[in-house]
Amino acid sequence: MRRFLLALMLVPIHAFPQYNCNIFKMNNDQPCYEACLAATEAEPGQGTRSSQMLFDKAIELCPTFDYPYFEKSVPYLKRGDFVTWKKLIDKAVELNPKGHLGYRGWCKFQFVRDYKGAIRDFEKLDSLLDYDIGYSMNGNYQLNIVKGLCYGAIGQKTKAIEIIEGQLTEKGYSAMTYDYLHLGVLKMQTGDTNGAIDYLKKSISFNDYLAEPYYYLGLIYKKLNRTIDFKENMEKARTYYLKGYKMFDPYTHQVDKVYLTDIEKELKSGE
Amino acid sequence: MKQATLIFILTATLYSCGQTQEKKADYPLQVGDIDFNSKIDNPNFKLCDETRVLQYYNFGKGLQYKGEKITITEYFKNGLKTKEKIGETGVLTIRFIVNCNGQTGRFRIQGMDNDYNEKKFGDNLANQVLTMTSKLDGWIAGELEGKKYDYYQYLAIRFENGKLIEIMP
Repeated sequence: MRRFLLALMLVPIHAFPQYNCNIFKMNNDQPCYEACLAATEAEPGQGTRSSQMLFDKAIELCPTFDYPYFEKSVPYLKRGDFVTWKKLIDKAVELNPKGHLGYRGWCKFQFVRDYKGAIRDFEKLDSLLDYDIGYSMNGNYQLNIVKGLCYGAIGQKTKAIEIIEGQLTEKGYSAMTYDYLHLGVLKMQTGDTNGAIDYLKKSISFNDYLAEPYYYLGLIYKKLNRTIDFKENMEKARTYYLKGYKMFDPYTHQVDKVYLTDIEKELKSGE
Repeated sequence: MKQATLIFILTATLYSCGQTQEKKADYPLQVGDIDFNSKIDNPNFKLCDETRVLQYYNFGKGLQYKGEKITITEYFKNGLKTKEKIGETGVLTIRFIVNCNGQTGRFRIQGMDNDYNEKKFGDNLANQVLTMTSKLDGWIAGELEGKKYDYYQYLAIRFENGKLIEIMP
């Protein structure tokens, strides 16, 4: 059982579907067909010697095939070697911009906090597509929301709000877990207290499994000298946090995430 | 003739084996593996299992530190003695191992500029970051189903003209 669980933990998360190698076969492209088989064989052992060797074999057999560059880059990103990651993912983007610009932008935002670089990727992708630019690798965000967060992080809060609110009104778009929370925080940061309270409450109605909206509501009430509301919300934030109801990502921390220390510091200040 | 053929086959086999091994040697067992270097590494830092060092994200708990990541952020923000210095911009990444007892070792540093090219940060900044990282003592050993494991961890610190901006992951 232990071995099974360990094996499960070590299985890499893949959002990209496996390639259908028969496409190359149908086009009588034997080297690329073999490259595709090698790349799909390499995929489950992400980061291992045999996996990296197979990706290199795939690249050698079919240098115009973006997929092995992309897959080979992933362990470098997750393990903090952003220099090597970037060289490989750039190659994948060069060969297939529509397929990888969104992913590269997301990683620049989530792993490297390269907000301007991420914006460039999302805007480039948008210029290439006449449809939705897609979702983050972890499935938590539509990429326009991420673009908004990037603008927010470089100080353009009003633009960030416009982008996120714009996405929320897009036909066919359903709000995701953190959308209202981020909007609430951005509104708070721009001094729109009522707007912030509305969105944070909306976040709670939408998904009441997060400490964060209670924490930020607490901050707002503190500023408004509404002591009872402040304490009530901060206490709730702490209870939720201790229950494990909080923003979480196994790789990196998220924008607007709070920690137990933040909550306890506020509670102490209100004593 | 038979002998000549046998010699040819043996030579060819040995040659190709050598090639494969040489090629294999270019690849670490795992991307990012850090081998012990007697010139720079503490010989008293021991791993529980040299053959199975996991990655911090394999445990599904994110970064595992007493007081959570905010403790590390505050530690660097309060402890780094840096001055504004034009050009000290980019990301300094320290990669290391947390062993099954929560001790750390085998620190490696990599600097990167805003264009993702390798760069050398000033010795003062790089040494401070390295020393401070090595003094962090709240790491929690990785555990799966009651068994403790060694694992690789990294801290990537973004600087802008010598000022600490953000710490990842």
